[in-house]
Amino acid sequence: MASAIDRRSLEPWQDPQAEPYVRIERVTKKFGDIYAVDDVSLAIFQGEFFSLLGGSGCGKSTLLRLLAGLESPSAGRIHIDGVDVTDIPPYHRPVNMMFQSYALFPHMNVEQNVEFGLKQERMPRRERAERVAEMLDLLKITELRQRQPDQLSGGQRQRAALARSLAKHPKLLLLDEPLGALDKRLREHTQFELVNLQERIGTTFITVTHDQEEAMTMSTRIAVMDAGQIIQVDTPTGIYEYPNSRFVAEFIGSVNLFEGKVMRRDGDEVLVESPLGRSLQMHCPHPLALGTPVAVAVRPEKIKLCMDFRADAVNQIAGVVEDIAYLGDVSIYHVRVGPEKIVTMTLANIQPRTEQALTWGQEVAMEWSPTSGVVLTD
Amino acid sequence: MKPRRWPLYTVLAFGYAFLYVPVLLLIVYSFNESRLVTVWTGFSTKWYGELLRNQQLLDAAWLSIRIAATNATFAVVLGTLAANALVRHGRFRGRGGFELLLTAPLVMPDVIIGLSLLLLFVAMQQTIGWPDGRGFTTITIAHLTFSMAYVAVVVRARLAQMDRSLEEAAMDLGARPLTVYLRITLPLIAPALLSGWLLAFTLSLDDLVIASFVSGPGSTTLPMVVYSSVRMGVSPQINALATLIVLFVTVAVIVVTLALRGGGGGRAR
Amino acid sequence: MAAPVPNRPVRDRRLSRIVNVGLPYLWLGLFFLLPLGIVLRISLAEPALAQPPYTALWEWLESGMVTIQLNFGNFMLVWADDLYLVAFLNSLRVALVCTLLCLLLGYPMAYAIATAPERWRLLLLMLIVLPFWTSFLIRVYAWIGILKANGFLNNFLLWLGVIDEPLAILHTQVAVYIGVVYSYLPFMILPLYANLTRLDRSLLEAAADLGCRPWRAFLRVTLPLSRAGIIAGSMLVFIPVVGEFVIPDLLGGPRTLMVGGMLWTEFFSNKDWPLAAALAMVLLGLLVVPFVLMQRWQQRAEARGS
Ligand SMILES: Nc1ncnc2c1ncn2[C@@H]1O[C@H](COP(=O)(O)OP(=O)(O)OP(=O)(O)O)[C@@H](O)[C@H]1O
Ligand SMILES: [Mg+2]
Repeated sequence: MASAIDRRSLEPWQDPQAEPYVRIERVTKKFGDIYAVDDVSLAIFQGEFFSLLGGSGCGKSTLLRLLAGLESPSAGRIHIDGVDVTDIPPYHRPVNMMFQSYALFPHMNVEQNVEFGLKQERMPRRERAERVAEMLDLLKITELRQRQPDQLSGGQRQRAALARSLAKHPKLLLLDEPLGALDKRLREHTQFELVNLQERIGTTFITVTHDQEEAMTMSTRIAVMDAGQIIQVDTPTGIYEYPNSRFVAEFIGSVNLFEGKVMRRDGDEVLVESPLGRSLQMHCPHPLALGTPVAVAVRPEKIKLCMDFRADAVNQIAGVVEDIAYLGDVSIYHVRVGPEKIVTMTLANIQPRTEQALTWGQEVAMEWSPTSGVVLTD
Repeated sequence: MKPRRWPLYTVLAFGYAFLYVPVLLLIVYSFNESRLVTVWTGFSTKWYGELLRNQQLLDAAWLSIRIAATNATFAVVLGTLAANALVRHGRFRGRGGFELLLTAPLVMPDVIIGLSLLLLFVAMQQTIGWPDGRGFTTITIAHLTFSMAYVAVVVRARLAQMDRSLEEAAMDLGARPLTVYLRITLPLIAPALLSGWLLAFTLSLDDLVIASFVSGPGSTTLPMVVYSSVRMGVSPQINALATLIVLFVTVAVIVVTLALRGGGGGRAR
Repeated sequence: MAAPVPNRPVRDRRLSRIVNVGLPYLWLGLFFLLPLGIVLRISLAEPALAQPPYTALWEWLESGMVTIQLNFGNFMLVWADDLYLVAFLNSLRVALVCTLLCLLLGYPMAYAIATAPERWRLLLLMLIVLPFWTSFLIRVYAWIGILKANGFLNNFLLWLGVIDEPLAILHTQVAVYIGVVYSYLPFMILPLYANLTRLDRSLLEAAADLGCRPWRAFLRVTLPLSRAGIIAGSMLVFIPVVGEFVIPDLLGGPRTLMVGGMLWTEFFSNKDWPLAAALAMVLLGLLVVPFVLMQRWQQRAEARGS
């Protein structure tokens, strides 16, 4: 059982005995009539790189600001490291935040910005200088120490802001769209740096993002939010492979949804009758009553070309190629399988493009295995 | 198709001429030798000399400057507090009345402000014995009442456009609210405080009507001296004074503008 | 980590509110609102040869009773005497005419500045603000030299041969108009400019794209959208001009009497403080409506802006 123990220490959320580092209990935040955060409960463990993911206005920033103490909840409690911090003002919380706009003080240079928090806790001068040097070194901005914020590039500003928020060695670092203001190239590069940094210093990170790729790349776990509520919390793999609802399935990556009704149960498998006239047989560990309306979600890259198409086989479907998007490594095919239904399929471009088998207007048959999708009820 | 712009620019040019020609004439004729201001007889700076020997006028100017500086300093304090209240305290009780009270002095005719404050000072003197006589103190109080409203307008605009997350970041880094205000907010609104100070200073220096009501014997301000002299008719000395004021103001405005642009005061992002 | 002090922020915030709201409120209540109350009180007293020159409004009787005397005579006088009525009407007329003139001249100027090339804008705006910083009194004084019988304007026109005899402009209504427009023009231009620069240029482009001619686009898009600026500017001119004293006093004549001058004369020359107070109250009453109008629009514009 050694492997199970290992997994538990790496994935503390699997361990019912593990004590969460941050505990959010039924927290609600109302602005007037708007529920910015609606009855949210979360447990986050020490050393995690946790991401809040969701569309614009779904309450990610508000949840982060509640943790920082910049907003106080309308209901619910927040515990950090075993202490109830709900009523503690931001300047007494062992938490620091990196702001979406970075919020570098424009009238102070980089060094003074980094030093600001240390001065507030009256750290002795020598120690303070050491800490500042350490932070500037950690983020490789030592030579920028005398610059004013408006003399920095976007990436440099991001580092300065990060250095400032890490300087006090917070127990928890909150990052509101840390890479949002960077261009795409820089963002991808910085994602890895951020993860490396977090692994090196071991601080618990909670980030906010509305970029799903970013969340997938960086996080230990992701919470998908919608309209102030948390829809699903899981590892990136879990979120991608086993979404718990149509919302999550469609929010992360692209997906084909086949609506239908449960016709038969057979152990761990269910047979779903789809209005397209096909039967879909899927793996489904949780019990579903016969006749339940469900959606079968299959990712485009899980769909293969079918060599032996039979009209009565399960998990097979045929159609006409309507659109091809060539992306270099892969191509995305839109295949019309019914008057209202288009299936998206991704195929790796193993052959050079000119020798591709599929072209516009061509009839194709497709198939997938019962374990390469999920059955969704929500 | 682009609209033609020359009619617009003609109006603009006319407007600027309208605003500036009178002042230019004033300046040019301050160097006229003749006492008759409108007839040019030759170049002379003798009116400047006379101006500087006019003890009454110099005394009045000194009093006005002292009042203006005191007024401006207190107006910045009160006006900034009022701006804080409006921008940072949301919907406190009595906010409507507060805003009303703060806007009214901006448009209230001077005669009403002057008369009402005089009547207040008289009533106060009768009931509590203060202010004992009228002069520096009463004029400064009167000026403060309307200049703080102007300062509040200027500072409020700056505060409102300031990025809130700067203050939140400071708080997040452990600064208590007062520290946040002193270390972050004040430095960032400093340009507005400076413009507010200058505005309050000039408003006070310029006021004739209110000061006439609330001043007492022996406290004559510069505008009061100028007014009684102007009522007698045009006088080259006043032209000379006007030239000095225009010169001073232009230099001050240019210096302040350049100083604010050149750095120091951080940009609100 | 510091010990949790849950009550600290609440206390901090209350203290901050007391200072930030309380102090200015107190000041304005004491030195702005209370004085207006006193004016009302004294407008209901009778003039007397005393120091101060009015009768007490109430008296304590030996029995501990208070008698209150209200004297509406001052208001009756203001209403009954043609002189005052004419002064009020004249004040309103001057304010109205000058507001319109300022708008006519100020709107195109503000529009030209707002649509001028970026690098010119600051300079053009500074040139509008600059006169505002120089002495008001002296700028009015400048017009005496220009408008009087042997002033610059007449000399210039005579020299051109447009006229044979000097025009009598000084000490007429026209001189008052000129002086008021000259002094209050920046107050009209600044709010208009602020409003027009905020106006989304793409709206006009959209209008042009939809086939709107520039002139019509202006009438149908720009003008309605700048209504808040027009109202703010107009009120900033209209309200103070109704009570203006210096300009009619220096540039106007005996036939251009306005309320401000009237009040001044009653107070300083006739020493009739109660009558002056009554005039002030009537003036205040006249200005309440435009003031409330302005306040409303300002708040609406603010609500929309945020
Ligand atoms: N101070 C506030 N007053 C009123 N409503 C607010 C306030 N702050 C946030 N909201 C509202 O709460 C909801 C959630 O806002 P929040 O900023 O948390 O969204 P978000 O998920 O961070 O969005 P984004 O990705 O755009 O940053 C929104 O509907 C927003 O309009
Ligand atoms: Mg956000």
